[in-house]
Amino acid sequence: MSDTPATKTGFSLRGPGMSKFLEVYGIVLVVVVMMAVLAAIKPEVFLSAQNLTNILKQNASLALLALGMYVVIVTAGIDLSVGSVMGLAMVALAMASKAGVPWPLVLLIGPAIGLAVGWVNGIGLTVLKLPHPFIMTLGTLNVARGLTYLISNGAPISGLQPEVRYIGQAYFGFGLPPPAGLPASLILVAVCAVGLWFFLEKTNMGRHIFAIGGNPHAARVSGINVDRTLVVVYMISGFMAGLSGLLLAGRTDSGFPNAGIGIELDAIAAVIIGGASFFGGRGTVLGVLAGVLIMGILRNGLNINNVSAFWQQILIGLVIIIAVYIDVLRRRAAVRR
Amino acid sequence: MNKLLLTGVALGALLAMAGSANAAYVLGMKGPGAGNPFWAAVEQGAKDKGAELGVDVIVVAPPAESDVQAQITQIEDLIAQKVDGIALAPTDPNALAPVVDAAKAAGIPVVFVDTRGTNEGTTFIGTNNEVGAALAADYMCKNLPAGSEVAILQGLISQSTGQARAEGAKKGLEGCGLKVVAEQTAEWDRAKGLAVTENILAGNPNIKGIFGSNDNMALGAVEALKAAAKLQDVMVVGFDANPDAAASILAGEMTASVAQAPGNMGGLGIQALVDLKAGKTLEPWIDTGTVLVTKDNAADYQ
Repeated sequence: MSDTPATKTGFSLRGPGMSKFLEVYGIVLVVVVMMAVLAAIKPEVFLSAQNLTNILKQNASLALLALGMYVVIVTAGIDLSVGSVMGLAMVALAMASKAGVPWPLVLLIGPAIGLAVGWVNGIGLTVLKLPHPFIMTLGTLNVARGLTYLISNGAPISGLQPEVRYIGQAYFGFGLPPPAGLPASLILVAVCAVGLWFFLEKTNMGRHIFAIGGNPHAARVSGINVDRTLVVVYMISGFMAGLSGLLLAGRTDSGFPNAGIGIELDAIAAVIIGGASFFGGRGTVLGVLAGVLIMGILRNGLNINNVSAFWQQILIGLVIIIAVYIDVLRRRAAVRR
Repeated sequence: MNKLLLTGVALGALLAMAGSANAAYVLGMKGPGAGNPFWAAVEQGAKDKGAELGVDVIVVAPPAESDVQAQITQIEDLIAQKVDGIALAPTDPNALAPVVDAAKAAGIPVVFVDTRGTNEGTTFIGTNNEVGAALAADYMCKNLPAGSEVAILQGLISQSTGQARAEGAKKGLEGCGLKVVAEQTAEWDRAKGLAVTENILAGNPNIKGIFGSNDNMALGAVEALKAAAKLQDVMVVGFDANPDAAASILAGEMTASVAQAPGNMGGLGIQALVDLKAGKTLEPWIDTGTVLVTKDNAADYQ
């Protein structure tokens, strides 16, 4: 980060200060505008405590996946295995829960599976030196999904211990009529988001992660242990996917082997909509959460207006393209100035 | 040595195939029988019938439920093996239509089981999903006050099964004076069934009944209703009577479901192929029947 131009010329609201503000908070404005539009179209439903609770509950597991994916994308990488890791975690923890494994251990199964698959991804990338993370994680996407079918025989496993379900299902009503309230899953997302922000912004390894994304060669030359850092990055992504599986299993009271198919693409979309660069080195935790909310609010808004699910898919596709195009325009303007 | 062993094994396999004098009929399922009780029952029905009639029954299925490409490949390979007949549950009727035509062109009789294909003049052996959904609707009509608000969770409406169940339910529910206030797809998925029900409840707080076009979605709806503390006030009826649903019905959570007769699909499928091979003509649609499953008979489906 070089701050010399700003300190020399000083801040003005219309100058770099404003563009800096838009860079960081512009995406949050999009969320606010979307909410305002939906509130205007269907005020009695959209702004109800119940509906706002729904939006939070329905997007918590995607938020965790996207946070993990964000760390990977900051290094200019990609992790396609997260949806499969989520499914594997769900089925494994549901089986353990059914088998009467004590619940504190069951809670650890999802994250542990995530860390393990993440470690394998990192090793494939750094020790086997596979040319691109796309390849390694495409491999583990299939391996983990295959394992999921194998151990479950393709059938869902339902009926989890209440303690295992807690984080995915509980909410704090604060006197609101059910099911409105603050979902426990939101608290987990908030803790993960703040923890990740602290890790990326305030620790050496976090700064190394950005450095690797910006320029891996320079990072290596400047003495950063790139390989070790990358392994940690993929383990974070796997860990988040495992936690996400714990949430969805708790929410649905089931480990079903088709869970999370294709959700890695939603996670990638949320990160990109949230302003992170596919080429690494750029993005914010706040932007990722906003990206998740934009997709979530869009789906919710179309659902409560009874719009066909087919339209939802079309619109989300368009939003991805438009969001990134706006980013391109903004960047171009910034370079000219 | 290894090479020799491999050659031996390959030769043995070839001899075993050639050596079997019985006619070989194929059951092509949408997903693996291991684990999915529905397909396991179809498979069992077919094998029992095969043993009864003294014919070989070969069962094939894509490794994952609804893998269209894998199923097409399997059927193509079976045509090359010149089997005596194929009873096929098409993962995607339109996508499978060309290979079904290819099989017929190769002189191999084909019938559809479970899901109707698009090929003209091909017998379908399976549930009348519209009738089954109407059975569920009729149950809701009898047990809800006239004029109650109800919702339908649709399956994939790009599939004929999804369409037939949604339509059968809608006609039945509206026909007896219930008010369908929401129809949305949850794509056969439990997590989506949960989310869609949450959204429906947000917009329609007075809902009294929910029909899930399959049990997975209905069980998702049950979770949403539990969270909203409304399970006591809202009747949930599913379709398929899978073991999870049966357990839920016995626990007093889901109210009812509709069972198909998968064993009949497998058995009647093989019977139909044998009949075709013997030169008989078949009805265009052989209904395998549906049964309403409530607390009284749910124990049979666990």
